[in-house]
Amino acid sequence: MKNILLISGLLFFATSMFAQKYITKTGHIMFYSDTPLETIEAHNHQVNSVLDVETGDFVFKVLIKSFEFEKALMQEHFNENFVESDKYPNSTFKGKIVNIADMDLTQPGEYEVVVEGDLTLHGETQKVRTKGTMKSSGDKIEGNSKFMAKPEDYKIKIPSTVVNKIADEIEVTVEITLEKYK
Amino acid sequence: MKNWHKILLGLFILGIVGATLGYVFIYNKPHRDYEKAKADFSKTAEAFFEEYKNDKDQAQQTYNGKVLEVTGKLTHVETADSLTIAVFALAEGLFGDEGIRCAMLPNHAQKVKDLEGRAIVLKGYCTGYNDTDVIMEKCSVVTMK
Repeated sequence: MKNILLISGLLFFATSMFAQKYITKTGHIMFYSDTPLETIEAHNHQVNSVLDVETGDFVFKVLIKSFEFEKALMQEHFNENFVESDKYPNSTFKGKIVNIADMDLTQPGEYEVVVEGDLTLHGETQKVRTKGTMKSSGDKIEGNSKFMAKPEDYKIKIPSTVVNKIADEIEVTVEITLEKYK
Repeated sequence: MKNWHKILLGLFILGIVGATLGYVFIYNKPHRDYEKAKADFSKTAEAFFEEYKNDKDQAQQTYNGKVLEVTGKLTHVETADSLTIAVFALAEGLFGDEGIRCAMLPNHAQKVKDLEGRAIVLKGYCTGYNDTDVIMEKCSVVTMK
């Protein structure tokens, strides 16, 4: 048993040594909801992300309470009634750049990526598939993507009093600048 | 004008005034002023970080959404676009430093840049722990030691 642990530990260490990772702790995620009655947007500037440029593995870690709204009341409703951030403080995305074999992100250039994975929000996990662009300068990779998310897929209940003010589909924008981890 | 007309008109005006006040004070109520807010908890950076690391669930319940006053050595200050982040680096993780990361209020950004390497007290709104760092927003410099 000890040997197995040791070997798997070494293997893990070895693979993480060789695989080139790009990271950020200041990624920006914004969401946007637009209805005739109300336009709502919220920003989070402290998003953690790690990308393995060899395997395409891509992870995001987001703290829900870090989302900032223009109006304090909306921020309160969002945290307390919709996403219940006391109960579910974190949101994660674990996925892959599925077409990673077609590109070498360590080489400067612009790349079209397809990202697929599991998004966990409000304790519910759903598959997400989206396109994005990655602009690499070698040491840095700027990534941009947009996708739509439906609150009801994540069992987020919108009270009937505000249901007309919140879109059925929320646009999520991701902007990150990943730096090569040395 | 009949009496009940007057009452109806009075109620109508009252309704409009009430709705306007409601709109102004509730719908438009301002964000909390975290610079003036009283801290809910005051400890060293190490103490907060260790609590999150050792018992995440308990620490989340205690500190998430609260105003924390953190004492420690300001390891470094990072800037990303318009953001200034004060970092208390406390451990070495798989991907570099781990610790407490504090996004500064704009009017405290320059102040904190001059305090790199010093022992300071920062106050801010704690939003949680992402398995590497404790994250704080709307931070201000309380004192330098």
